[in-house]
Amino acid sequence: MKKVLVIILLVIIGYFLANTFINIPFGENRIGDINAEKPTAAGYYLSNTKEKSKVANIITAIVVNYRGLDTLGEVTVLFLASTGIASVLYRRKEEEEETERLSLPSSTIIRSGARVLFPIIALLGIYVFIHGHLTPGGGFQGGTIVATGFLLMLISYKGFNTNHNRMTWIESLAGLTFIFLGIWGLIADNTFLGNIPEVGKLNSLLSGGLIPIIYIAVGFKVAVELTGILDILLKIKPKK
Amino acid sequence: MVITPIHYIVVPLIAAFAIPLLSKIHKELFRIVPGIVMFYNIIISFVLMKEVNEVGYISEIIAGWEAPWGINLMITPFSGFLASLISVLGFLIWLYQYRFKKVIDVDEIKSYGILQMMMITGAIGIIITGDIFNLFVFMEIVAITAVSLTSFYRGRDGAEAGFKYLLIGGFASALILLAILILYTQVGTLNMAEIAEKMHTIPLGIKSTILILFIVGFGIEAEMFPLNGWAPDAYSQAPGPTSAAFAGIVVKAGIYGLIRVIYTLFDIEGAFDFLIIAGLVTMIIAEFSAVKQKNLKRMLAYSSIGQMGLVLIAFGIGTKTAVFAALFLMFNHAIIKSLLFMTGSILMYNSKDKTISSIHGIAKNLPFVSIMFAIGAFAIVGLPPFSGFWSKLYVLTAAADKEMIMLIIAILGVSIVEIVYYFRVVNKLYFATDIEHLDIFKPSNNSLIAMGILTITIIVIGFYPDLITGYLHNAADILLDRSSYIDFVLKANVPIQ
Repeated sequence: MKKVLVIILLVIIGYFLANTFINIPFGENRIGDINAEKPTAAGYYLSNTKEKSKVANIITAIVVNYRGLDTLGEVTVLFLASTGIASVLYRRKEEEEETERLSLPSSTIIRSGARVLFPIIALLGIYVFIHGHLTPGGGFQGGTIVATGFLLMLISYKGFNTNHNRMTWIESLAGLTFIFLGIWGLIADNTFLGNIPEVGKLNSLLSGGLIPIIYIAVGFKVAVELTGILDILLKIKPKK
Repeated sequence: MVITPIHYIVVPLIAAFAIPLLSKIHKELFRIVPGIVMFYNIIISFVLMKEVNEVGYISEIIAGWEAPWGINLMITPFSGFLASLISVLGFLIWLYQYRFKKVIDVDEIKSYGILQMMMITGAIGIIITGDIFNLFVFMEIVAITAVSLTSFYRGRDGAEAGFKYLLIGGFASALILLAILILYTQVGTLNMAEIAEKMHTIPLGIKSTILILFIVGFGIEAEMFPLNGWAPDAYSQAPGPTSAAFAGIVVKAGIYGLIRVIYTLFDIEGAFDFLIIAGLVTMIIAEFSAVKQKNLKRMLAYSSIGQMGLVLIAFGIGTKTAVFAALFLMFNHAIIKSLLFMTGSILMYNSKDKTISSIHGIAKNLPFVSIMFAIGAFAIVGLPPFSGFWSKLYVLTAAADKEMIMLIIAILGVSIVEIVYYFRVVNKLYFATDIEHLDIFKPSNNSLIAMGILTITIIVIGFYPDLITGYLHNAADILLDRSSYIDFVLKANVPIQ
């Protein structure tokens, strides 16, 4: 009986959602005239980013500058997720709960492969977040790539340990960099996260004012936090 | 330096990122720093409330992009009032828990401080933002911190409550995100004022789908029946100060989201009737469930859900008096329920199995805490001369103005149920003598001060409700004035210097 009710409810919800999505025209231009007097938000971004922000990658300008507060919020969500996981899964010291890494014995091929691949993966990640304002990708993507490199090392070497002290420093300093760059805008421009677009020239590595610096800080923060989460999740109680 | 709304977000964030480093310098800093931040929040609230009562609205644009294109923060008398309430409560909760868990590990309590502080910041962010996606981001911050705090005690029950909350909270976030997505395909903007302006262009079918998604999403955070399955578990498993924060702060943010969406974004009349029905069902079911509870914190949790039902009813009536009454109820619920959770968790600390029957006659050993619990209980059922009396009276007045006789009967009937279960506990605290209490845990002085401030507020507001009714009338007027909000954001969009 309960299952029947659930199915009926799901069908009703599905019908209304499907009805809504069918009515959204697909592939049409909904941005409108980008040079209109009062364009839509998307149109405004397309027509103004190049001149006003001096950033080649408009997505990056939206993520880091137009909607910078959202990005700061998302960085915070990740920070809190890693703090929360650490507090939930943390083992008390005085109860002498030992931990060890969950890992299966890995073969020589995986171990040597990981050793060769790790610097390349890390380099790619760093490239992605340094060039966030020029090419697709950015802080979140680059940071995730770096973290996958660490994941590879964590699962292939049982003795591979991350330095918690150093990670805390990087995490905190990267977060503080983001906020203090925002406060710089508050002091210089009277608006939080205000940009200084005059620096550098369009399409070069040095362009976009504070945007690339913020994205690099985000990259470091994401890489360290994801690595920290993986490190905590891979720890288990040793079998006795 | 000029104080602007962004300080509410930036200052706690600096503290949150810096606490891991600061605690390497001195071990006491991670307890003190959140308190300083909370105190600074109160200062911001005072300055902004003073300003907003003169000018009507404060809008701050972020990153220098004007309202429809960038993100703006809005302080209105309505949102400013809620933000101030949350700031003050946040500080009191910090004061209450200052010496909380003195003995456990540094690392653990460090993350507790960060999570608690960020939960309060997220709730303030939900309230002050003028952008619907930004609201979603802050909602995520609140959800993720609330889940971590729920399962802070890593027992079996804590893990279960946390996991339940994680699933339901994740579901709520997904629905709100879906609603925002559909909304964006229709109007091409995320600014709340511009959405409200363009709302009449959306076809009715799509509009109601979006509204339902929003109501379900926010309804989960606002503890609306039948979406509140997580609440009793989360309230009873979370640490005491966190339960107080759930009742005083997180629920307020959920209600705010619901009200902002229904009152400002949408122009559908039927939503108001829906609020009355949902509120009524929530109230009746929760209050009757509360009678059956043996665990004190679960009882308080059900009572909290019931009160939220009453708030929804008042918002659903929708007249100026009703909105005023709803805001007064939110204020009272925030201070009274926080006090009840604070005193209740000290009482519970002295019981063996967390049930009401194991704290019989404890008033002899804990006289101050018991009298404050009793005052809270009398205030929440609406006895004069405490503050709860006035808010309930105004709700009934508003219902009487619209001649909703059945509603009045239901509210009064449920009040009797409330009296039954609260008075039962108070009676047992004072007059049952079947248990001898040894090894009594006494609350520390700072906890007593925090609870004392709340108790005094309840009594003072009970005798002089005029102290806050002026602000509340102002807030109610502004909330109902949809077009001036839109005009202010879109046309006269100048940052306050």
